[in-house]
Amino acid sequence: MSSDIFPKVVITGLGIITSIGKSVAEFGEGLLAGTCGIGPISLFDTSGFPITRAAQVKNCDLKDTLDEREAKRMSRCDLLGLMAAREAMADAGLDPTKVGGSDIGIVLGGGAGGMLSWEKYRRSLWSGKIRTRPSLLFSCACCSLTDLIANRYRLTGPRATVATACSSSSTSIGMAFDLIRARVHEIVITGGSEALSEVTFAGFNALRLMDPADCRPFDKNRKGLSLGEGAAILVLENYESARRRGAAIYAEMLGYATNSDAFHMTSPDPEAMGMSRVMAMALERSGVDANEVDYLNAHGTGTKTNDPLETKAIKRTFGEKCARRLAVSSTKSMVGHCLGAGGAIEATATILALCEQVVPPTVHLEEPDPECDLDYVPGKSRPLAIRIAMSNSFAFGGNNTSLIFCKGQK
Amino acid sequence: MVTGIGIISPIGIGREAFWTNVAKGQTGIKRITSFDTSSFHSDIGGCIEDFEPREFMSPSVYRRMGRVSRMVLAASIEALDDSGLVLDTMDRETVAVFVGTAYGSSCHVENFYVSFLVNGARGAQPFLFPETVPNAPASHIGIFHKITGPNITFCQNELSAEIALSYARDILLHGVANVALVGGVDELSPILFQCYDALGALNSIKGGEGQAVKPKPGCGLVLGEGACVLVLERGDFAAERRAQTYGVIKSGVMRGGIASLGHYEQEGDQMGLAMAMAMEQADVTPDAVDGIHVSANFSGELERMECRQLEKTFGKHITDLRVTPLKYLTGDYGGAGALRAAAILMGFRHQSSPPTIAAAMLQGVVGRPLKWDCGTIGKSRCALMTTSTFGGGSSSFVFANE
Repeated sequence: MSSDIFPKVVITGLGIITSIGKSVAEFGEGLLAGTCGIGPISLFDTSGFPITRAAQVKNCDLKDTLDEREAKRMSRCDLLGLMAAREAMADAGLDPTKVGGSDIGIVLGGGAGGMLSWEKYRRSLWSGKIRTRPSLLFSCACCSLTDLIANRYRLTGPRATVATACSSSSTSIGMAFDLIRARVHEIVITGGSEALSEVTFAGFNALRLMDPADCRPFDKNRKGLSLGEGAAILVLENYESARRRGAAIYAEMLGYATNSDAFHMTSPDPEAMGMSRVMAMALERSGVDANEVDYLNAHGTGTKTNDPLETKAIKRTFGEKCARRLAVSSTKSMVGHCLGAGGAIEATATILALCEQVVPPTVHLEEPDPECDLDYVPGKSRPLAIRIAMSNSFAFGGNNTSLIFCKGQK
Repeated sequence: MVTGIGIISPIGIGREAFWTNVAKGQTGIKRITSFDTSSFHSDIGGCIEDFEPREFMSPSVYRRMGRVSRMVLAASIEALDDSGLVLDTMDRETVAVFVGTAYGSSCHVENFYVSFLVNGARGAQPFLFPETVPNAPASHIGIFHKITGPNITFCQNELSAEIALSYARDILLHGVANVALVGGVDELSPILFQCYDALGALNSIKGGEGQAVKPKPGCGLVLGEGACVLVLERGDFAAERRAQTYGVIKSGVMRGGIASLGHYEQEGDQMGLAMAMAMEQADVTPDAVDGIHVSANFSGELERMECRQLEKTFGKHITDLRVTPLKYLTGDYGGAGALRAAAILMGFRHQSSPPTIAAAMLQGVVGRPLKWDCGTIGKSRCALMTTSTFGGGSSSFVFANE
C-alpha cells in the first residue's frame, strides 16, 4: 500500500490511566523512571489465592469526575475508559460540537468489560440476597465503554468493539488505522480499558500463569505475569485533517498486521511462526526495513513460554544482527498485564518513547535468561535516537498484532 | 461474493433445513425446557434442541469447548464444505476469520465464577477459564482449520455479526485476504436469560406447557441462539476458481446512533442514514429493493424506530411496506446478523424470497397475530438488511443476486 495513495495516519491525542500514572504526563514520568505499580490488591478479597498482587489503579476516586447518578450505573472498566477518553479528547483539542461528531468513528478493544459489576450482581444472587441491583448489569458487556464514549461525545461515525483478549486494543488501533486509510473517516477514537476482576484474577491463578512476586519479563527466574488494569485512548487522525486543525502530532502510525497462530487456545506456537510472521507483515505493510526499527515494545509477559518465544520471533524477523542492536522492553514489568487495554497502553508507551527519544526500561530484570539474550533495557530507561518503533501484542487463541509508529512524519 | 453457508439455528441444523423452515415462516421460538424458567417473567426463546456436535467433528475436538464454540465451528465446517474451497491448496495466511458475538460463552463465565464462589480461590476450575474469552469461538475456527490469517472477534451487542461482515468486506476489497469466514454466534444460557429478565427486557409471555408460543411485537425482547458462518471471497478470486456464488454484498455501512445504556437510538436518524448510504454506495434506488430485512426483535423501541425510518427511506406509508423480521422466527442474539444475511442469500439461491409481514405489524397491534406471507416465490434481485442495537449503533447492507 503506497502512502501516496493512502492518507498518512497520525496520533493527535492521548489519554491514559494506569497504576503508575493517571495522566499522560504522570504515566510518562513513571514509565521513564521505571516505577512499578504492582502491589497488593484492595479491590476485592484475595485471601485464599496463591498470588495476591496486581497493578491496581489506586488513590483515585473514579466517580469523582462524573455525575453521581450516571457514574453509579457504570462499571469500573467504563470509568477508567471515560477518564482516559476525556484526557485524549482534550489533548487532541477535539470539541465534538465544532468538529462535528459525525466525522468521528470509535473502535475500542475490550477485555472482561464490566465483569467486576457482574460479579457483584452474581455474588448477591448466589448469597441469596432478596434485593439485587440489576443496574449493575447495564455496563457488563465489553462494548459498553464504546457506547458510553460515543454517546458522551456524540460520535456518530462507525462504532466497533474488538475482543481478541490480550491483543484487543492493539487490533482496535489497527482497525482505526484502516478506517482512516480507507478515507471512511478522518478521525477515529481508539484504545481500550480493563479493570481487575475476580474472574480474570482467579482464571490466571488457576492456570498458574502468575508470578507470586512482581513479574520479571525476560529474567531467568521469572515465574509468570502480573495482572494489571487501566485504560488508554488514542486519537488517530488523517494527517491533512490534523494539519488543517493545527493539531499537535505525537507520532505517525505507519502500519500494522494481525494474524493467528492457529495452534492452541492458551499456548503459543512453539516455533513462534505466528509471532514472527505478524512482525514481518507489519514491517512490509508499513514499508519499513527491519534495520530502521530502533525500539520494540515487547508483549513481554514474564511467563516461561512467552519471553523466549518472542525473543526467537524477534531474531527470526529482524535477523540476528539487527535484533541485537534493537532496544526491546516490556511495559508490563511496570503496569502489569492489562489484558484488553494492554495493547493501547503499550502503544502509548511506544509513542511516548518516540516523542521523548528515551526507551522505557524492563524493571525487575536482574538475572538474564540465556534463552532471552537481546537488549531488554534492564532496570533504567535509556536515551536513544528512535526513528521507528514497534509494539507487539499476542493473545489467548493465538491472535497476534504488531503496530508500527514513527516520530512525527516519516 | 458469498460462496458458502453453514447454519445451526432454532429453525434448522444445516442451511437447507433452515431455509425450508424460513420459507414456511416456521417459528423456532418455543417454551424453554433446557433450564428452569419458573422464577422469570418469561419462559420463551429461540432455542436449539437438536444440535449434536459429533455430527460435525470428533468428540476429542469439542470436549473442552463451550456450546458457542461448538456451534460456530460446526457452522464453519458446513460453510467451508459448501464453498468447495480446499484450504490445503491455499496459503492459509490469505484466509481470515471474523466472528461477531455479544457475549461469547456466558455459560463458561457463569460456571467458572460459580466454581470460584463454591470452592474458593483454589477451587476455580482452570479448564473452564480459556473458554470465557469472547474470542474463543473464532480461535477454535482458526485452530481447527489451521487458518493463520487475521482472526478477529467483534462484540457490539446486536450489531456484532454485522461489524464482522462489514470489516470482512473491507479487508477483502483491500486485498489483505482472499477469503474470509464470517460468523455470528451466541447461546441462550440460563445466566444470560436471568440477567435480561432482571433488567425487565424480556417479552412478558409465559408459553405454558403444550401451548403455542405467540410473542407479540412491542412486548419485549425474545432471546435466541445460533451460529451461522458465511464464506466470503473477493470477486476475482471466486471467479478464477469458478466458485458457485449465492450473491454479492454490494455495500455495508456502519453508523453510530446516540442512545443511553440499554436503549435504542430514539429517532433512528443514524439508522436511516445507514440505509440511505448503503443504497447510494450500492448504486440502487429504494424502488430497486425488493426485500427489506429488518432487525425487529419484539422489543417495541426498536420496532417503532425501524418503522419511522422505513417510511422516510422508502417514501411510503408503513402500511404500504412489507418486511422480513427474521428474529421473529429465531429470537435475537448478538451474532444474528450472519443468520439474517444467510436467509437473504438462501433466497437468492432458491429463487424465492423469505416470507414477509406487513410492516405495520411491527408496531405491535395487540391481539392481532402475526400474519406471514410465504407465497413470495419469484426472483429477488436486491435486498436491504438493516440493523440497530441497544446502546446505539446501526448498520445497513445491500445484497444483490448476481
